[in-house]
Amino acid sequence: MIWIFAVVMGIGVAAGVYLALSRDLFRMVVGLSVIGAALNLLVFASGRLDSAAPPIVVAGTQILTNAANPLPQALVLTAIVIGFALLCFSLVLVVRLMRAADSDDAHRLRAAEPPHDAGLKPPLEEV
Amino acid sequence: MSADFDPAAAGVGRLLAYAALPLAMFLALATALASIPLPWILHWSWVPSLGVDLAFHVDGLAAQMLLLICGVGSLVFIYAAGYLAGTPRAERVPVLLSLFLLAMIGAVTADNLLLLFVFWEMTSVLSFLLVGFSHEQEASRKSAQQALLVTGGGGLFLLAGFLLLGDMAGTLSLRELIAMAPRLVDEPLLPLALSLVFVGAFTKSAQFPFHFWLPNAMAAPTPVSAYLHSATMVKLGIYLLARLDPAFGQLLFWDLVLIAAGSITALWGALHALRERDLKRILAWSTVSSLGTLTMLVGLPGATAPLAVAALLFSHALYKATLFFVVGNLDHGAGTRSIDHLSGMRRYMPWTAAAAALAAMSMAGLPLSMGFVAKEVIAGAKVEADLLAVVGYAAVIVGAVSVAVAATAAVHVFWGRDTCPRDADPHEAQWTMLLPPLALAALGLLFGIMPATVDPLLAEAARAMAPELGGLMVESAYDGGPVLGALALSLVFGGFVYAFWDRLHAALERMSWIDSFGPAAWYQRKLQALGQISAWHTQRLQHGLLDRYLLVLIATVTAAALLALSFAAERWLWPATQGINPPLLAAGAIVVAGALAALWVRDRFVLLLASGLVGYGCAALFLFAGAPDLAFTQFAVETVFVVVAAAVLPEIRGGATLAHALPIQRRVEPLKLLVSIAFGCALTLYLLLAAGQPLDPALSEFFGARSVPAAHGHNVVNVIIVDFRALDTLGEIAVLAFALLAAAPLFKLARQRRRETP
Repeated sequence: MIWIFAVVMGIGVAAGVYLALSRDLFRMVVGLSVIGAALNLLVFASGRLDSAAPPIVVAGTQILTNAANPLPQALVLTAIVIGFALLCFSLVLVVRLMRAADSDDAHRLRAAEPPHDAGLKPPLEEV
Repeated sequence: MSADFDPAAAGVGRLLAYAALPLAMFLALATALASIPLPWILHWSWVPSLGVDLAFHVDGLAAQMLLLICGVGSLVFIYAAGYLAGTPRAERVPVLLSLFLLAMIGAVTADNLLLLFVFWEMTSVLSFLLVGFSHEQEASRKSAQQALLVTGGGGLFLLAGFLLLGDMAGTLSLRELIAMAPRLVDEPLLPLALSLVFVGAFTKSAQFPFHFWLPNAMAAPTPVSAYLHSATMVKLGIYLLARLDPAFGQLLFWDLVLIAAGSITALWGALHALRERDLKRILAWSTVSSLGTLTMLVGLPGATAPLAVAALLFSHALYKATLFFVVGNLDHGAGTRSIDHLSGMRRYMPWTAAAAALAAMSMAGLPLSMGFVAKEVIAGAKVEADLLAVVGYAAVIVGAVSVAVAATAAVHVFWGRDTCPRDADPHEAQWTMLLPPLALAALGLLFGIMPATVDPLLAEAARAMAPELGGLMVESAYDGGPVLGALALSLVFGGFVYAFWDRLHAALERMSWIDSFGPAAWYQRKLQALGQISAWHTQRLQHGLLDRYLLVLIATVTAAALLALSFAAERWLWPATQGINPPLLAAGAIVVAGALAALWVRDRFVLLLASGLVGYGCAALFLFAGAPDLAFTQFAVETVFVVVAAAVLPEIRGGATLAHALPIQRRVEPLKLLVSIAFGCALTLYLLLAAGQPLDPALSEFFGARSVPAAHGHNVVNVIIVDFRALDTLGEIAVLAFALLAAAPLFKLARQRRRETP
């Protein structure tokens, strides 16, 4: 079981990172969401996959026995929801950015760090 | 400066008040020297674990330096009051000079190497502030920066040398180090440690090839130049070398380096003095030359050499400070420092002329002056040391040039034909600027006529450099004959140099190759290279390209992670492979299919669907691995996301309508692909290796055991979310709310768009 999770997670992260490294802003955001989903698998599997039984205390008993680890599940649950919020917000941001720059090219977003030959930085002193 | 000079409005009295500090110290010092026998020792433990103590030790050499620091200091403070009155921000100078005075006192009395270093660097920083006094002028700023970079940087070399020495000797105390130095002779690192100390001392005392900052430091106000860059601070390096001379003077390496560096500096300074027309810079170069002579004398073996060091140290401070004062008076009174425009000034400035004449006498080494005494002792030391012929010739040239410089400063400027234009209105300086040069010049005369008065001081200082020296007296150190011959020789040569000054100057001026070859040019190139390197790597690293930033970041993290893993390679433990689980395998296949499809497709909407496939696959994995809550949440999220995506669909599909849209291309970027795969592999490796290690179940067991009794909930995950970590969940809800608030404008925008384009 852990092998399936590890390999799938690795492929998911690799694909997500490659998308995130793209110059295309939109692919960048999609890469972010793919990375997020794959990393949820990492956190989940870190809690071990010894049992496939849901972590629910059997009626009539007081203590959880022979069930999946509830702790990573709680963490991942939070992560899914937060990741969703992040994805929605990133999408808004990127669409706004694309409209503002009239481009989907990350290399054109240079307002904060203009190219050195753009004449916006102080020129190197020629002594 | 002279134009707006107005003594009535200026705060001469206020500036004069600062002179109380050095004066009081000088009087206290003189009284103490007369009544308490040397050495004086003070010791407080400061950082005992590091061997850093507030240890002070005053012997003859330190006492001589102290007298110069406080004595010349008092006169400099008085002079500065007159010189700076009416200047904006004038009060900075006496304040900084007071701090400098204290730092110098600390430096020459410190008995702990690290303590000495602290005071040493303090003087460098204060020198920087004082040279940069006229900071509104670019030349001034550059000179200050140069002085700080050279002397401050040299100070760091000195620190390294001190630490090495301290490590070898097992003590940071200067006296203990000197006492045990004979045992260090065979240490393999000793030459390195001494070389580092040399760099520190040579940068401070302006020795070749670090001399170039000193003439540029003349951008400082003249009293500062007289004090820091002639009488005291630049002597600090000489002081340190003289202090260490009894420890390492027996080493051939020590003597050779000092004699070579000193001789070259003396010659180089003399040569450059002839290239200048600015009297102040001429004096600066002749100071460089004198410092070279001092360094050479420290390196000379023989019993007279220490006495010669003490005598020259003393006489140079007396006559050179006087000449700097004279230049300051000329600057104020005649408005120029160029020897081309200064001639016959004695008619207007008789008192300044008298001081200049006395100081020049001393500088030239004429009889009846302190300089004569020094010259005699130096000549004696050289005879005794049986010098190489080359060093002897160099000394003749240096002597001749210093005679010529003295003649220029006194005869040419004050006694030459009066060429001063009528409208320049040259005038004598006020008393605060006349008392200091006259007092120093008179002292030089007094000590020259009666060497016995200064003898105990010099002998005591010499004994500090050579403890085996007995009650050697200045008078017994020279015996006429050959010494007078050498003096006559340098006077004759000096007369020639003076007579042909203009022609020599013209000839040397043409030697412009010196400027492009010397260390000053090297410094200039390095400073420029520093800026170019910064510009180069900023353009490479701070290029503003988002994807490349990310690439560097992820590549670095991947490399670090794999490196860390490889260190523990022998403890790798793979988890066991269990039987095939078909539902899990199918769910995993969905994730992989979605991920690969996302890489492949170009249409943005299909790309979103592919990423949705990854999400659904993950949900299925959760479902079959015992996490139905996660599965349902993920399903819900992916479904809701379709709604969001549908809202922005017209926007994201409109890539083609953007003015600067990226061209669609299917070219694979190999480097990015490689880094991505490496990152994925690193995480896979981490998960597998982590699974092979034991897990601490304490927290999980706590939640499992407390859910029903404490929270009355059977679904442990739900209990954790809404009960045990309720506050976190509140935060999570807040994040969702913020995301919705931020996303709201987009929905609005999308609706507007649709209305505009029916």
